[in-house]
Amino acid sequence: MQLWAIAANTYRENIRDRVLYSIVFFAVLVLCASLVMEEITIGDQDKVVRSVALGAIRAFGSVMSIFLGIGLVFREIEKKTVYTIVSKPIARWVFIVGKYLGLMGVIVTMIALMAGLYILLMLAQQGPPAASVYASWWMLTVELGLLTAWAILFSSYSAPITAASFSIAVFIIGHLADDIWRFGLQAESEQVRQFAGILYWFLPNLSVFNVHDLAVHHLPIPTEQLIGATGYGLGYTVAVLTLAVWVFSGRDFK
Amino acid sequence: MSPASSSPSEVVLRCEGLGKVYRSGFFRIPYIGLEDLSLDVRRGEIFGFIGPNGAGKTTTIKCLMGLQAATSGRAELLGKDHRDPESKRGVGFLPERPYFYEHLTAREFLHFYGSLFGLPKAVRAARIDELLARVQLERFADVPLRAYSKGMLQRAGVAQALINDPELLVLDEPMSGLDPMGRLLIRDLIFEERRRGRTVFFSSHILADVELICDRVAILVGGRLRGLGTVRELVGDRVKHIDIATRLPNNDLSLPGELIRRDGDAVILRVGPDDADRAIDTLRAAGASILSVTPAREHLESVLLDEVQRAAPVNQKHLGVLA
Repeated sequence: MQLWAIAANTYRENIRDRVLYSIVFFAVLVLCASLVMEEITIGDQDKVVRSVALGAIRAFGSVMSIFLGIGLVFREIEKKTVYTIVSKPIARWVFIVGKYLGLMGVIVTMIALMAGLYILLMLAQQGPPAASVYASWWMLTVELGLLTAWAILFSSYSAPITAASFSIAVFIIGHLADDIWRFGLQAESEQVRQFAGILYWFLPNLSVFNVHDLAVHHLPIPTEQLIGATGYGLGYTVAVLTLAVWVFSGRDFK
Repeated sequence: MSPASSSPSEVVLRCEGLGKVYRSGFFRIPYIGLEDLSLDVRRGEIFGFIGPNGAGKTTTIKCLMGLQAATSGRAELLGKDHRDPESKRGVGFLPERPYFYEHLTAREFLHFYGSLFGLPKAVRAARIDELLARVQLERFADVPLRAYSKGMLQRAGVAQALINDPELLVLDEPMSGLDPMGRLLIRDLIFEERRRGRTVFFSSHILADVELICDRVAILVGGRLRGLGTVRELVGDRVKHIDIATRLPNNDLSLPGELIRRDGDAVILRVGPDDADRAIDTLRAAGASILSVTPAREHLESVLLDEVQRAAPVNQKHLGVLA
């Protein structure tokens, strides 16, 4: 019940936040604008439209995840609302996990909203989306779940600007993970190889969730990849949230 | 039951050697926020916690409520270790200058805090109506908190502290920034809680209120407990001065004390505690009639100021560590 109460309050707080509506407004604008691409594109126009629209959903989802996540815990501490929560008979992990679940509720709602708009646009223009498009949204949700966990971890001990920098760094490095691994293999210096190895194994490999090309081309996504990436994402998320709980549990509120 | 007849089993809040050392800056220089605090608060009493700014009052409350970890000693709330979240189940807490979720209405806000205690929805709903009436916010129940004034927010905060019908109420500066009506409302609420057998532990800068409503008071200065007892025990029977109201036969009379006020031939004179008899004799001998003799007793304020002055070297030592 307590977990649900904190999650519901976080959901309500973010859904009533004007910043969210600005992001949604721009997302809807870009999704609608993607239709115009058909007029100015040479080649396979349908695929270009799908690529731009699905890319927009990914981009705005990531922006929401980072920018709502980084302030989530810090704002509670800064505004001292946390005082009346942690002084209640609840364990600190309940607070962190409740906040996480509430924000994930918002992110899933927003992805569903953008996905619904995408489906309507496609039905009007190209016909129903392939199954791989739906699978790509699932992969995106798992990826954003992981990214949000990192944002909450950073938010539980640093100010939003620092948390934003770290979260964006994780996002970029996470998407370059395969390249970092390849770069490490080719490096002559042993130290560089080791450093690349540490980065690869420590930071998340977000490219495992990237099935953008398959979805755009309406090609099937292998089931093993879906299951593997989901397991990897959920496991990694639990680990990062555990770390966030540990950091938050040791905090003094001044 | 009166606090004096309480047995140790009725202690609802206990600190034993509680201490907090903060570390500041790059070199983690330590400074003392609270030192070796030991006190018991008994069931059914109103316990005041006073001291100047930086005395350690809020530090103590934050340690007790789990907002900060004490660096030494131990504490119990309702018989449970204060670090156990379950020790807060029977405790209501209002922080200093509370901030709340502005996107919520008062009703939503109280439902949220009620659900943190696991109260069923029907119980919450009934309790919320009752509490909103007690803090006089029924008319604003469905208005978002962002539209509330400071005093209204404080009252909403008190309502959230009472949502679980707590056995022990911990209030950090509950009257700070309130107008006289707001202070009266909080005072009445505190009295009402005591009438219901609850215990109230609160810190305050407003010593007149503390003196008026507290069964016992602890004085904290420089992170140390400097006094503990009933107001009478702390202040004693010391008379600060005596005001004599008299009607003079003529204006030529030399006054045997400090003139405080004159209204025609009626005057109020202030004399030292040992000078009253002599002043009254002088006045009567000159034909003046004595209207009243009022001894002014010491107040907590002077006791606190004495303690602050006495503790000054300790304070400097503590601050010196920080510097």
